[in-house]
Amino acid sequence: MGKRRYGALYAWLALAPALALIGLIVVFPILYTGYISLTNMNIYHWFTFRIIGLRNYINALFVFDSGFLSALGVTALWTALNMVFQLTVAFVMASLLNIEKLRYRKVYKTLLMFPWAMPGYVSILLWRNGMFNSQFGLLNQWMERLGLEPVRWLSGDVSAFLSSMFVNLWLALPFMILIMDGALQSVDRSYYESAVIEGAGWFKRSVSLTIPAIKPIIAPAVVITLFTTFKQFDVIYLLTRQAGARTGANLHTVLTYAYENAFVTNNYGFSSAVSMILFFLLIGFSLTTKLRARRAAQ
Amino acid sequence: MKRLWLALAAAIFIILPSCDSAVVPTGEQDGPVELTIWHDKEEDVAAVLQEALDRLQPGVAVRLERKSGLTEALKLVGNNPGAAPDLYFFAHDKMGVYAEMGILAPITGFVDAEDLNGFLPMTLEAVTYKGAIYQLPIYFETLLFMYNRALMNDSQVPATTEDLYQFMASGAGGRFGFIEQHSTAYYSAGWIHGFGGGIVADDGTPLLNTPETIAALEYHLKFVKRMPGEGEYATVNTLFREGRAASTIGGPWLIPAVRQSGIDLGLAKMPAVAETGLPLAPYSGVQGLHVLRVAAENPAKSAAVKEVLALLLNPNLGIAMAKASGCAPALLTSYDDDEVKNDEMVMLMRETAESAVPMPNIPEMDVMWNVVGNLLADVNMRGRDVSEAAADAQKQAEALILAMR
Repeated sequence: MGKRRYGALYAWLALAPALALIGLIVVFPILYTGYISLTNMNIYHWFTFRIIGLRNYINALFVFDSGFLSALGVTALWTALNMVFQLTVAFVMASLLNIEKLRYRKVYKTLLMFPWAMPGYVSILLWRNGMFNSQFGLLNQWMERLGLEPVRWLSGDVSAFLSSMFVNLWLALPFMILIMDGALQSVDRSYYESAVIEGAGWFKRSVSLTIPAIKPIIAPAVVITLFTTFKQFDVIYLLTRQAGARTGANLHTVLTYAYENAFVTNNYGFSSAVSMILFFLLIGFSLTTKLRARRAAQ
Repeated sequence: MKRLWLALAAAIFIILPSCDSAVVPTGEQDGPVELTIWHDKEEDVAAVLQEALDRLQPGVAVRLERKSGLTEALKLVGNNPGAAPDLYFFAHDKMGVYAEMGILAPITGFVDAEDLNGFLPMTLEAVTYKGAIYQLPIYFETLLFMYNRALMNDSQVPATTEDLYQFMASGAGGRFGFIEQHSTAYYSAGWIHGFGGGIVADDGTPLLNTPETIAALEYHLKFVKRMPGEGEYATVNTLFREGRAASTIGGPWLIPAVRQSGIDLGLAKMPAVAETGLPLAPYSGVQGLHVLRVAAENPAKSAAVKEVLALLLNPNLGIAMAKASGCAPALLTSYDDDEVKNDEMVMLMRETAESAVPMPNIPEMDVMWNVVGNLLADVNMRGRDVSEAAADAQKQAEALILAMR
């Protein structure tokens, strides 16, 4: 018994630095934001703020108006489409990388990881100016060569959504391919040999063998990507809404909407209340996803 | 287990003394009084300032520290004596925010009131917030009308905006007779002021649905239709630098790159709006030194700050900055220098200062940049009805300003 208690104590002590770090950089900011959301901290009460109860939450509800609901709808569509495309493309790419006797496999893998190595901010601005720009962008140069009129890819709501999605795929695929590739390599080859002997083609093998086998391995990565995509800010903001470089597209995710309708006010109490509501929305979303996954597993 | 306790004890001993370093001595000290100035300026400007400040050695040692994200950093540590700078060198437009936060000290506690009479009136207007002066102006920037002599000769330089439109429509200057960052609040302000309108009043009331502002946006639209759809910095400046646009409105920061591209650059006065007779009146930004309250309340540092500001009242600093980087000095006496007098760009900015409007320094302006940006995108890029879009923008601005409090 003494030995067990000693072991448990030692485990907690060994974990303490990591737990302290998580507490400091994850838990503390959330708790502090919760505290600030209950105060009147803004530039007029920067150092002399006091607790004002739930007033910020009542004001914050006005931010969650029809504009917010429409942004929520766009965010849901954005998340769903991105996940479908990411999983499909990553699966196909990873499968291709795992073809037996494929030459220069490492070269392809390195090239595919390239978007991951670049800072996201740089990549997004390169896409905006280097690809989509109507004067200098590569896409429009190709169109001009074909005798077509230049297109402002980022100015219409639908074309901006699709262009942003393409850039997001470009940024996110390396991670998903890497996870899928690892998962595929963990599947026992002998299963495939048996399947081939029994006459299963690539599609049949993928659906009945590969996907069920890699599902538990890729699940955490999928959940992480799901949330990253849901709370996306940089791709849509930098491509279409950046101050001084707006394109005319009226495209908002929940975060860009909250930014333009709360965070720019310098009212930290109010902005924190908006952040906390978004946080609880995400927690709700997370719990729902988890419950559904558990039910599906049962 | 013993080792673990030892490691934890060692960590505590390492961390505890480092916490002490945030405590700043306020009493007498040996050696020079050290002051830190945060800034975001280019090397040439910082070098001139550092050279001037080094003259205060050995009594006062001033360190210029280039700080990225200066405005946000000040919000976080502006009242912390251990982390805040003593002064900062930045444009005047954020002073209302910092004054309301209580981290700034008026400079009138360090400079004699009569010394301020030597500044250009526009610069003094810019640095005054609620009756107090919070910045010692050093130089100012404003937008200029620039043209490529290969595409627009001197006789074609437009006197009025209608002349400019005719030039664009005639195609005489090529595909783009004129380009600008048409959907950015900073650039559009010149057109709005040219119609007698504004973005925000001194008392913080948005002015987006006034007849003057609406008339300006409606008139400006016909120019926008003859410019590229993208109105951001990179596209506009690259087109002008590559000789694909005949004229533009840009800041002095653009000029070195344009000259380097081999363009025969002409500078001219802003055209006047045909309808009102008023010139396009762009915003001006006044760059100068602000004193943090933490330094003002520290007796040793306060005396040193006084010495710094007294030194910077010398017109030679403005002259040196004009020569090094084409800055337009805020002190009137700097313009007596022959070399400054012969600098076309500096003198043109001096002339534009007569009509330029200082960027509002009230906190409410922080939300207006965003709202006006969206309004311009709605009108210029989405083709929304101007009055309707202006009414919506006014409503949004009022709601955001209310949310600030």
